[in-house]
Amino acid sequence: MSVVIPPRPAPVKTQTAGYWMRRNLFSGPFNTILTLLSAVLVVWAGYNLINFVFIEASWGQVWRNMKLFGAYRYPTEFLWRPLLAIGTMLGLMGVMAGAGGRKSIVGSAFVALQAFVAVVALIAIVFWPSVRFLWPMVFVLGAIGYGLGSRWPKSTVKQLPWAWGAWLVFGYLVLAGFTAAGPMTKVPVRDWGGFLLTLILFTGIVPSFPLGIALALGRNSKLPAIKYICIGFIEIVRGAPLIMWLFIASLLLPLILNVDANSLPAIMRAYVAITLFSAAYMAENVRGGLQAVPRGQGEAARALGLSAWQTTLLIVLPQALRAVIPAIVGQAIGLFKDTSLVFIVGLVDFFKVGDIVSGQPEALLITGGVKLETFLFIASIYFFFAYRMSLASRQLERRLGVGER
Amino acid sequence: MSDLASAPSSVRADSPTTGETIIDIEGLNKWFGEFHVLRDISLSVNKGEVVVIIGPSGSGKSTLIRCINRLEEHQQGKIVVDGVELTDDVRAIDQIRRETGMVFQSFNLFPHLTVLDNITLAPIRVRKWKKSKAEERARYFLQKVGIPEQAHKYPGQLSGGQQQRVAIARSLTMEPKVMLFDEPTSALDPEVIGEVLQVMVNLAKEGMTMVVVTHEMGFAREVGDRVIFMDAGQIVEVGSPEHFFSNPHEARTRAFLSKIL
Repeated sequence: MSVVIPPRPAPVKTQTAGYWMRRNLFSGPFNTILTLLSAVLVVWAGYNLINFVFIEASWGQVWRNMKLFGAYRYPTEFLWRPLLAIGTMLGLMGVMAGAGGRKSIVGSAFVALQAFVAVVALIAIVFWPSVRFLWPMVFVLGAIGYGLGSRWPKSTVKQLPWAWGAWLVFGYLVLAGFTAAGPMTKVPVRDWGGFLLTLILFTGIVPSFPLGIALALGRNSKLPAIKYICIGFIEIVRGAPLIMWLFIASLLLPLILNVDANSLPAIMRAYVAITLFSAAYMAENVRGGLQAVPRGQGEAARALGLSAWQTTLLIVLPQALRAVIPAIVGQAIGLFKDTSLVFIVGLVDFFKVGDIVSGQPEALLITGGVKLETFLFIASIYFFFAYRMSLASRQLERRLGVGER
Repeated sequence: MSDLASAPSSVRADSPTTGETIIDIEGLNKWFGEFHVLRDISLSVNKGEVVVIIGPSGSGKSTLIRCINRLEEHQQGKIVVDGVELTDDVRAIDQIRRETGMVFQSFNLFPHLTVLDNITLAPIRVRKWKKSKAEERARYFLQKVGIPEQAHKYPGQLSGGQQQRVAIARSLTMEPKVMLFDEPTSALDPEVIGEVLQVMVNLAKEGMTMVVVTHEMGFAREVGDRVIFMDAGQIVEVGSPEHFFSNPHEARTRAFLSKIL
């Protein structure tokens, strides 16, 4: 006769710290030696780093040049313009975060960015009179966006991609200005720089996204003309390093086209080069996603009577993009750091400012120089943003694994 | 070989009953590269008929019904569905696809959409129905296949049998004139095959025109009006289920049936 066995609770593992250490760190003479050696190394490196950061380093040079790091030669009296652009960007992101809730991926990234802005705003209020009210304004704009996003209906929030497109144009107009005098005085593009320039170049990822999707779809097209143009573009662009495309865009193109090198500002040329470069990689990412969608999906959609375009836009593409979001975020992180290559064509981005600041005469007089301080500062800022993106990517991966498979 | 001689390569499988023809296939030939996968297929199906296609794997059964809604392109012959001939004309293809529902072996539900969105997508986008009407019809058919409570779940949260029933409801909501079933139970666990077959039996009894590729002989026997046996890309034998399961003529048919019954 069979008896139903009642369920029993799983055995609980009791593990003390001592047990864990014996098992993982000191499980034999060789491992014990390795553990001790690593401990010595970690303590030594940690001690030196802390000693340098808090005692030996002279941060004055970095601190005094914050304006250069932030916006380079952008006129101080017009600093409200880039900050307005950044504020509206945070506002848009806030709308997304508000619509998705604080726990959503955009939401948590937004909270981290707002915290960063809040810290900068506090510093600005105390130490930087020229932007005393502007950084708090950035924070407030972000908060307003969040408030609107959590109240607006879903149908309004769905129009956001258009808002991002409009923001690119708005941001450019505000930064560049369009009058000879007054609050919207033109600011020559060669004066844009610092972290502002890094951010501007990074927004190249926005237009590269639709471009990359179009290229990926074009590559799968049945029309040979479209197909081979797309393949040619992708392969040629991917076949050479970004630095070469920056050179071509900045130096060779004006020569080849026989136009004045200043007719299009160097930043714009670099921007286009970065966007197209990123689009080619984006296309390959998206293509990988397209291949990951089973054939049956398209067949089922066609069998229901959906047109080829409807099938692509409603069935295949959403699934393909979902599959490659982690790869796309990875690409964004790469692009964010690769923007530092523009120093090679004479642009002064965040990274290049560090070079300039540590080479100023007053810096040269400081014992030991300030190179290490400067680049530690730059590295930590890059790290904050890159790590934040990486965190969002991991959250995405986890979320995509649940429920909707 | 004697059995080949007695089975000319073009057995006609015309509907025995008089009535309105809805699918008419004449002299259909198809090649995959060099491989001649469909050979001189002639077949007609009347409104309200249930035609069951059986045969060993690789015999071209699936390819044949996939030709009916142009998921596969044929190279020779003529296919007319509901009075429209299948050609390269995209409008003709779209029209035929609107009027034919298809159920796949691997369900092919859209994993990024809820059950309800899976079902209402095509009615809204293709039939241009209002959302409210599409949802009402979707719920009606979900009720009919016995899973009204799953409307807001994602396909990945359903069992195989439930997914296949959603797929059937998705096709039915388009109100097709013909339903094509491509081995609908082959990917299912044995214990849930019954629930899908029951839905199909009910559908047949309500008078839906159905072309079913299957290995479920019980289904063929219970609701099939005609059974078609295919082998090596051609129709070998056609007849009523009684004929097939009592005294099939062809040696190839007998050999096949003896293996699976």
